[in-house]
Amino acid sequence: MNYLLTSPELFLHEGGIARIMRLYLRALGENAGPGGRVDSVVLNDRPGSEPRLARYANERLGEHVACGGSKPQFIRAALRLARRADCLVCAHLHQLVIAWLARGLNRRLRYCLVAHGIEVWRPYSLLERRALRGADRILCVSEFTRHQLLRFCPGLAPERLVVVPNTFDPHFAPELNNQVSQAPFALPRILSVGRLSSADTYKGYDTLVEAMPLVRKVYPTARLRLVGKGDDLPRLTALADRLGVAGSVDFLGPLSDEALRAEYAVCDLFALPSRKEGFGLVYLEAMTYGKPCIGARAGGVPEVLDDAVGRLVEYGNIADLADAICELVRHPRNSGVVREHAAKFAFPVFQRRLAAALA
Amino acid sequence: MCGIAGILSPMLPAESRHEAVRRMVTRQRHRGPDDEGFFENGPVTLGMCRLAIFDPAHGHQPMVSPDGRFSLVFNGAIYNHRELRGDFEERGWKFQTHCDTEVLLAAYALEGARCLSLLRGMFAFAVWDRNEQVLFAARDALGIKPLYYARLPEGGLAFASELNALLASGRIAREIDPASAGEFLAWFSVPAPRTIYRGVSNLPPGHSLTVDALGCVRTGPWWHFPAPQADGRIAANYHEFVHGLRDQLDDTVRAHRLADVPVGAFLSGGMDSTAIVGLMTRAGATRLKTFSLIFGESGYSEQSSARLAAQTFGTEHHEEVLTGARVAADLPRILAGFDRPTGDGINTYYVSQLAKQGGVTVALSGLGGDELFGGYPSFRDLPRLDRLLPVWRRVPAKLRTAVVARLRATASVRARKLADFLAHARDLHELASLQRRVLPEAQRLALLAPEARAQAERLGPNHPLLEDYAFELLGADPFQVISAWELRTYMADVLLRDSDAFSMVHSLELRVPFVDRVLLEWLWPQRSWFKYDPAHPKRALADATADLVPAAIRHRPKQGFVLPFARWMRAELKPFLDQTFSPASLAACPWLDATEAIRLWQDYATQRDSRHWSRVWTLAVLVAFANRPSPA
Repeated sequence: MNYLLTSPELFLHEGGIARIMRLYLRALGENAGPGGRVDSVVLNDRPGSEPRLARYANERLGEHVACGGSKPQFIRAALRLARRADCLVCAHLHQLVIAWLARGLNRRLRYCLVAHGIEVWRPYSLLERRALRGADRILCVSEFTRHQLLRFCPGLAPERLVVVPNTFDPHFAPELNNQVSQAPFALPRILSVGRLSSADTYKGYDTLVEAMPLVRKVYPTARLRLVGKGDDLPRLTALADRLGVAGSVDFLGPLSDEALRAEYAVCDLFALPSRKEGFGLVYLEAMTYGKPCIGARAGGVPEVLDDAVGRLVEYGNIADLADAICELVRHPRNSGVVREHAAKFAFPVFQRRLAAALA
Repeated sequence: MCGIAGILSPMLPAESRHEAVRRMVTRQRHRGPDDEGFFENGPVTLGMCRLAIFDPAHGHQPMVSPDGRFSLVFNGAIYNHRELRGDFEERGWKFQTHCDTEVLLAAYALEGARCLSLLRGMFAFAVWDRNEQVLFAARDALGIKPLYYARLPEGGLAFASELNALLASGRIAREIDPASAGEFLAWFSVPAPRTIYRGVSNLPPGHSLTVDALGCVRTGPWWHFPAPQADGRIAANYHEFVHGLRDQLDDTVRAHRLADVPVGAFLSGGMDSTAIVGLMTRAGATRLKTFSLIFGESGYSEQSSARLAAQTFGTEHHEEVLTGARVAADLPRILAGFDRPTGDGINTYYVSQLAKQGGVTVALSGLGGDELFGGYPSFRDLPRLDRLLPVWRRVPAKLRTAVVARLRATASVRARKLADFLAHARDLHELASLQRRVLPEAQRLALLAPEARAQAERLGPNHPLLEDYAFELLGADPFQVISAWELRTYMADVLLRDSDAFSMVHSLELRVPFVDRVLLEWLWPQRSWFKYDPAHPKRALADATADLVPAAIRHRPKQGFVLPFARWMRAELKPFLDQTFSPASLAACPWLDATEAIRLWQDYATQRDSRHWSRVWTLAVLVAFANRPSPA
């Protein structure tokens, strides 16, 4: 089987879509079979050698074209490589029209879309609807995303929408000898990871800061550790100042993989009370470290989290969030159970699900 | 009909639990003046107070299964308990009473959570499973009976039928949540799962809840709207549909009349209540007692229609004149009966009082007819607007922003509501969600203090359960979508909550035959043009009851059960409103912008502003609620 994978980016930034699409590249390589090939066209990655590519590609990787943001180059490369592909996997709805055009050049080409989250939770243009209806499969990261597609594009055949939950990067999982993740300090550490962007205020970092005064009433030494950068940082810092919890909130900025692993290892719980997560890859990452997670009862998160491995809270409900944090500190979840839950989303499971969906 | 309460907490000593549950039961004793009972086992205490309807001499609760494994507290009525009883007897259950409570206990013991889909009725109940050490609780499909719960600071959970009762436990802080205050101004009530209080939840309709011994709480839906189409169950033509509908209406009214105490009915003179009374008399009710409110003010009362209906059916009709002066005098008592703020419900308070004084313990109401048969203008207007949305999205963004800003700047409430639709709605679900909002979004945000405003902006203008309800309705046609939204929002969060609270405050069991799962599941897949004709709203109900409901009522335009508040607020209720909107009173509402609130009232009082009274009243109720003494 010859695959073509088109993506907005794989290595340029550490966004959720980039991270999961690397694993798609790896899984497609594994699934291509003897004599099969995987070509890859990436819109925004910089041309030139990328050392991390070797981690996600095997000998079946054919061409890997990084277009440095050039749309014409991306379209030309995608259409050219689509002529020799059997199946085109498109990582973003914005690129699906190209897949639809490519099928005009190669009638045996099947194309699929990976539907992640908010990028498909909206009404579609005529062209997008046409491209969606032509897709052989739409690989939805959660049942929630699948429902959103059916809601906004009622003409879609439901059987073509298959749920393939995300997976976590085996490279990111804790070392075997590092699996005992005891916090070295006697203070509860609440970790959150993501882009602190003013366009993504729905992520709920501000609600975490707002919950800190209530958490500190119970755990005066509690610390909120926020990993990530973005233009929302000044607002969050000012909020922490205004609420008198600046000394309890650490804005850590972007961290290397190694430093981030260390944060996961020493935190007491992970929290991302976001309103619009299609899936929430970071919860899985935290769970591989045996850490209980807090998410909002919204989007695809209830498909990843439940009370056995953390707590679901109402988005924007500060009291509920603070209560959940205190409860998880007071009654930590069994880390073995949490890891077992994460293992349900391990890469081999994902690879099998993907193969079945594309069969 | 009862009040139930309980605590599951391994951390609390049994004496503390018992004391807290006893306080909760006492606080909601009006829900069940006939009996009370308590149960203790391991980490659990259950309590209840009973209004005896079926087998009054028996049926004491909490009811424990013969093997001691299951213990049940139950609020509501199971109308098919006699049919279920036979099935369970065949399976070996030895009944000790003729009470629906014991049938529910048997159903849960034999079927577990699956029993919910067997039940026809209104219910909120909790069962403690001693063997599994699990507490299970559930509410009926459409949310007729309430269940509130809160996690306890010590770990575990407390639940009760009323918020006042939960607070009376002494284990939960009485703190108004600023975000909930913002939600209230949007929706006339605080939509589930949130409540007006911080940390207290409202189990949504059709949901169940389990708590295990570790204190893990799981909630989830047990009921969804049926599939939009169902082959084989759809009437072939309108004639067949009307006959089928009549059979279903006869069936639901027959089921809802069952009781071992006197049963009456509310009769406003509108289509829905007249149909219910007609069906009751056809089902064999003799000398039925009916009740309605009348008003001195012209243009509000449906007195003549109600009297015509009463004469037609030969009922013993009771009327009571309601005046602004009386409402003003009773307001402190009415507000004390609130367990949550509501912009509606005063009419239910008085007509329930009248029914109770008239000697009935159970009354049937026509609530739900508008939602099932398209009685609201939304059924006509929203599909039209939905067809325009794709065109609107093709308008350049700057022009769209300018149009929305222009509409928001006008004095017209309709124009500002249209602005909200255009700014926020992307499909029919969002239109249906937004159309029940009380205050235009810009005005709502202006009324909130900065912190509450930030929270309101964070939550956004749409209904909190928008996605859940939209997914539940995938494939539904426009009529079904709007009907479901009316059932799930205004009916569930406002009408049914008010009906429960204001009937129970007088120890009256209110039943709603149109809000019946069996009727709804039959009606749902029928062709929408059978159910709804834009030129003749509620034609299907009128045709199905044409032999009962007088033509003068069938052909009369919808009037609604509206009190003359607009006049009273500038006369008899003005002192209350002046006091409510005083700086001292507003000081209890730090989440409001006091200046804006006072301006809203003054504009209304001086008639400079033509805005509808309900916006001012809704705000006044919220402020008064925040100022009332502790309900404990």
